[in-house]
Amino acid sequence: MTRGERRSIHAIDEIVAKPGEGKALLEDYMARYAPGARERGMMLEQVLVSPPMWLDDQPNTLTFRWSIADTGGWWQMRFVGGNDPAVAAWWAEADARAISRRRFFAAEPADIGGLCDV
Amino acid sequence: MFKLTRLVTLADPARLMPLADDLRALARTHEAYRILVAPTLPGSHFGGDLLAHFAFDSAAQRDGFGATLAPVLAGNAVDGADYQGSPDGKQAPDLANGVYRVLLLSVDEGTHPESVVQFEAETRMMPHYIPAIRNWQLSRADAVVGERRWTHVWEQEYAGAEGLLGPYMLHPYHWARIDRWFDPECPERIVDARLCHSFCALEASIL
Repeated sequence: MTRGERRSIHAIDEIVAKPGEGKALLEDYMARYAPGARERGMMLEQVLVSPPMWLDDQPNTLTFRWSIADTGGWWQMRFVGGNDPAVAAWWAEADARAISRRRFFAAEPADIGGLCDV
Repeated sequence: MFKLTRLVTLADPARLMPLADDLRALARTHEAYRILVAPTLPGSHFGGDLLAHFAFDSAAQRDGFGATLAPVLAGNAVDGADYQGSPDGKQAPDLANGVYRVLLLSVDEGTHPESVVQFEAETRMMPHYIPAIRNWQLSRADAVVGERRWTHVWEQEYAGAEGLLGPYMLHPYHWARIDRWFDPECPERIVDARLCHSFCALEASIL
């Protein structure tokens, strides 16, 4: 899968880092989580930091938006990642450095019909 | 209804059909009013070689049968649960020549009760979004055997295996909504990764 091909599913990680942890947590995410996620077929589309500065006494919110080719690609990602103890260990460590975290899946409105046509 | 389901992985695969016959006969002597004993279909995962499902009018009948059944299954690997089935949904009471599927799952001990209730409510909505699920029941286990402390039994019936392997697996309500309770990458996860997913041919609806 190369950039430019149609990818219909988005996986979004939203992490509210503990005060002062934002920059280090983002760097660890990129160094330790992102490479494996790419191997599982995920493509990192966007990284956002809010507010757009590094806070040391308040939380930064980190948002990572990934794309996945289709439902088959989603299950491939899910089975591999879900059965890798290193992935679970990463999230346990990340959660300890976060106030809260969400992972959710989304699509553009135009893709809903196709995803639901099963 | 008082139900008992066992997923049997045989020590001796050649015993599959004789054991199936024995289980059906034993269930009849214990007045089971619904009996399904069938080889599992390819694609089952930790689902055993033989799926055995029985329903009784009383807990005493079910428990008596269970006590008699245990030594018959000794020497084989068995996962299963005893539970009370509630008639959650029956869109196709006359379903024939379909597929019965059961998922045994284990919610983590200590999970907040509100999370369990939400998980159950969302799971019971799957047939609303995935009409291929023709009949269904989600039950809490009363007693269990096997590899985990199974907490729930999620049973469905389909017109055919394609309903399970297609719409059930591929609909966004499954993978983008329900699965977060199962996915170790999601913070909402409450279900142990070890599941028993088993399905078999079904002559007539048993739910």
